[in-house]
Amino acid sequence: MAVILVVEDDALIRMVAEMMIQDWGHDTLTASDQDEALSILRSPQRIDALFTDIYLKTAVLGGCDLARQAIALRPGLRVLYTTGNSLTDKMRDLFVVGTHCLGKPYTQQQLHDSVDDMLSA
Amino acid sequence: MAEADIAASDIVETVPSALIILDRNLIIKSANRAFYQTFRTSAEETEGCLIYSLGNRQWDIPALRNLLESVIPHRASVEGFEVEHNFPAIGWRTMLVNARKIFRGGDHDGFILLAIEDVSEEREARKESKRNWQLTQSIVDTIRDPLVVLENDMTIVTASKAFLTMFGITEAETRGRRVSELGQHQWDVPALRHLMEKVLPENKPIESFEIEDVFPGLGRRVFNLNARKISQPGNHAHRMLLVFEDITDRKQRERDALSLTNEISHRIKNNLQIIVGLIAYESRWTAPTCVQGYQAMQARIGAIAQLYDLISQSSRGRTVAVDAYLREIAKAMSASLLGNASNIDIEVKAEPLEIDPDRAVPFGLLVNELVTNAIKHAFPNGHGHIVLSVEQVGDEIELAVADDGVGMKNKESDVAKPLEKRGANYVTIFVRQLGGTIVPVPVEAAGTIVRVRLPLLLIPGGAQPLAA
Repeated sequence: MAVILVVEDDALIRMVAEMMIQDWGHDTLTASDQDEALSILRSPQRIDALFTDIYLKTAVLGGCDLARQAIALRPGLRVLYTTGNSLTDKMRDLFVVGTHCLGKPYTQQQLHDSVDDMLSA
Repeated sequence: MAEADIAASDIVETVPSALIILDRNLIIKSANRAFYQTFRTSAEETEGCLIYSLGNRQWDIPALRNLLESVIPHRASVEGFEVEHNFPAIGWRTMLVNARKIFRGGDHDGFILLAIEDVSEEREARKESKRNWQLTQSIVDTIRDPLVVLENDMTIVTASKAFLTMFGITEAETRGRRVSELGQHQWDVPALRHLMEKVLPENKPIESFEIEDVFPGLGRRVFNLNARKISQPGNHAHRMLLVFEDITDRKQRERDALSLTNEISHRIKNNLQIIVGLIAYESRWTAPTCVQGYQAMQARIGAIAQLYDLISQSSRGRTVAVDAYLREIAKAMSASLLGNASNIDIEVKAEPLEIDPDRAVPFGLLVNELVTNAIKHAFPNGHGHIVLSVEQVGDEIELAVADDGVGMKNKESDVAKPLEKRGANYVTIFVRQLGGTIVPVPVEAAGTIVRVRLPLLLIPGGAQPLAA
């Protein structure tokens, strides 16, 4: 089972995502913004994957920025994005190569499939 | 001498200008054919006559008197003397008169040779051209948008008042200069330079070429540029008419509206995410037989959110383009196929048809339901082909969802009933909401096809823009 860092600024959505992911036996860590997430990523804590919202508080493309820094810190890290906005080319250009984005609202099944896909990639 | 005279008189007769020779008393000694033709007179009426008395004194013109009596006596020749006069026989004319004094051996008084050229048409054409130019300029000046005419080498030929105001310059400062050289070179910005150096020299018309830049003194501005080639008869080089439309405010309003729409959509989707999450949370304590229902509910909420995005991408004014909308749905559903189902492909065959936005959501939900059914039941081996098609049949739209899967006969009992005979499921609910009917299709051994007929567009004259 994997350890997944969930980064989401909306507390309720964060809780729901955590609950969904834990249902499949994974462990979760959570952060509500880039700074919090980066301090966890810099710690010796085991992390297999990052599941991040793109729009983080005031940072419109904060999740994209975070994923790039996360990969620089931990090169083998898996990444899955999510967003409530329409996916734009600008966002896609900023994605870490080989990653996907799950549009909101995602169902438990969709998140399950996407997480499995990410971890087995 | 006699031979020389004959040669001279031949030349005089063939010259197209009207020529007359006067003696020192201004008596006409002779005139050439061109003179008689131009002034509709003859040698008999002309020779020996005082020039002023000629043809009912029509040559008694103050300007001519001035030339002959005041100018000629002091000069050997006069060129380009212009006389405007209303001649009774030929009407209002502008004549260009060249005069030269001729002296022969022993004759100190000499003669005066007058060459008279009728330049009326040329002068009229010049006046007409000037009037046209003034008319054009005054039309140009009434156009609210700044407008400029450029030479082939991108130098300015003329500019409208609005252009001069916008650039803060006078007309004299524009002539023969490039736009980048105007004022303090504040228009020497990359976007405009690209237009002048790369786009305009291609000599093609330009529609809505948008440039956005920071212009010193004006700030950030967005201009919509339209350019048209102006062909000049007999000239291979083309001029360009370039119109600057300042769309900064409109652009800002569009951007504000878009960012507001995005913000609202973002909030709605986050709220729907919370609802989906709460349903997922509830389903943890639900009897296993009900879990599937909870999951289907989550999927439908997801589909509605996605459909709103797709509708905004496929909207054509007040209507939604069914073809574009179907393609977006197929793209989104294909993208969500993962793992086991990733070998299923969805194809769209669609005629360009429109539906009203009120029906776009149930239409999308119907497609979503039919495609989901196919993905779930038709392909136990995990690979197959689904075709979504729409076409106009009479005054209806026919939607068909076909798969090349296992077919109804091989599926579990509930699904195997012909669709039109089944009770209230989502497909029948959406079809009813759309005012449509399910077309009975014989159950085949392999593959499944569902056909639904819907009334065409319900909005009369639906293609008007929303803002109207």
